[in-house]
Amino acid sequence: MTARMARLSLTPQEMEKLGRAVEQMLQYFSHMREIDVDDLEPTTHALLQENRTRGDVERAADVSDTLVNNAPRREEHFIVIPNVL
Amino acid sequence: MDWHGTATIEGKREKWMKFAQARNRELGCFLQLDPEIGREASSGDGPLAGIPFGVKDNIAVRSFRLTCGSRMLQSFVSPYSATAIERLQKAGAIVAGKTNLDEFGMGSSTENSALLETRNPWDLRRVPGGSSGGSAAAVAAGIVPFALGSDTGGSVRQPASFCGVYGLKPTWGAVSRYGLVAYASSLEVIGVVAKTVDAADQAFTIMRGQDPMDHSSLPWPSRAPQGGRLRIGVPRECAEVPMHTDVKKTLTRTQDMLRDMGHTVEEVSFQTFDHVVSSYYVIATAEASANLARFDGVRYGHRTASADNPEEMTLLSRNEGFGDEVKLRILLGTYVLRSGFQDEYYLRAQKIRTAIRRDFEKAFSELDLVLMPVYPVPPFERGGSDSDSFSQKLADIFTCSANLAGLPAMSFPAGKENGLPIGMQFLAPAFAEELLIDACRQVESVFPSPDAPGYPKSWS
Repeated sequence: MTARMARLSLTPQEMEKLGRAVEQMLQYFSHMREIDVDDLEPTTHALLQENRTRGDVERAADVSDTLVNNAPRREEHFIVIPNVL
Repeated sequence: MDWHGTATIEGKREKWMKFAQARNRELGCFLQLDPEIGREASSGDGPLAGIPFGVKDNIAVRSFRLTCGSRMLQSFVSPYSATAIERLQKAGAIVAGKTNLDEFGMGSSTENSALLETRNPWDLRRVPGGSSGGSAAAVAAGIVPFALGSDTGGSVRQPASFCGVYGLKPTWGAVSRYGLVAYASSLEVIGVVAKTVDAADQAFTIMRGQDPMDHSSLPWPSRAPQGGRLRIGVPRECAEVPMHTDVKKTLTRTQDMLRDMGHTVEEVSFQTFDHVVSSYYVIATAEASANLARFDGVRYGHRTASADNPEEMTLLSRNEGFGDEVKLRILLGTYVLRSGFQDEYYLRAQKIRTAIRRDFEKAFSELDLVLMPVYPVPPFERGGSDSDSFSQKLADIFTCSANLAGLPAMSFPAGKENGLPIGMQFLAPAFAEELLIDACRQVESVFPSPDAPGYPKSWS
């Protein structure tokens, strides 16, 4: 179930091996229950400041060819994937 | 040793290149060693004129590959350069090449690289540490005077310590992350591995500061570094961590040395100490599972040869492209974020993170610096006989708290036991890098980075 959500098609051997490793970590995580967190706010970023916006202006990057050339399969400037339908 | 012009001045350049290639064949520091490409993009002029440096292969340098040590990106060529790289190139420095790492920065030994094996210059049977192991080995071997790494939970400090050189993990946001391949965004930062404190200081000073390309980068506040007698705290809880005797011995000796210099060394208590590793791994894997979702085999990276539809293409491409440790962390991160489990794991870990920050705030209300070991054991042997993947995670106990709290930390060589270097680290309040660097410089004047076997004498 978790593997499917993670978009990984694991072999039965991997499923067993990685499943054991995940189990070991989850068991270790269970120690977190010992600490009282009731009056604490969660921290998402230690030092994040207020939102900063940038001007809505055009900028040249000149990277489109290199980006498209990194595609595993392409026809001219299009990226090709297996048939959807 | 003066490194200016090493990669540019005729005579010096050839001598250096010959040494670098030979040493790299033995040690496997670089996935791609090609200063010719690096030279094209450098100004060649400035405070770092002609100085070659290494770049961990999860940081983008235009025209070099960007593999992250993964089959997933084995042939990916970077279309642009990280801001940190551009700033160093403007100062005249030259990218020598891309250094090996644990796949996507996940590991403590560089053994999780799918592409190359890296050896510790102090003992070829041992690991260089990780995940920035290639960078640390290249610096310790004398191929480059400094190299960039990334530190998500200790990945700059631990390999630097394993190889007997300096490792600076800056304040979160002090150096732009534009061009750093994302693993755990709220924890990671680009840092420096260096042979001398001066080299680390110089590279950091050039790289730091706000960048329009990284929304989370922060402006550098100029503040005068305080000198004089420092109050240094050592967490009482360190003593409860199972530590190798050589590390224990080095910790005690470092405290004595600091007292001899006139500083105060005292105990301090961190109530959250036992929970930092759990909190760290919940948060890091959760963020990794989200960040690595981008690898779907469509626009870049590995694509399976055998898929009949897009869904299958993504599932198979990911399974073929990622190694075991990466899969483990993606699975774990997906699990802790699942609805129904989120409060128990992810939310709780974030609340513990708040408690960890408060522990540091309290400590730094009375202290200038915190001193800790970097890693509980000396460099271990390759092959997992002395340290498996689970115990390597638990061993992040000394390093990952700085990442959770966003604080700067710097590891320094503090001793040599049985022929292997042992490192310690200082932690400081946010943006107090100058204090860290100054304290390391004081230690360096008494105990400089020891030269690994075969370290070069000069290039002229």
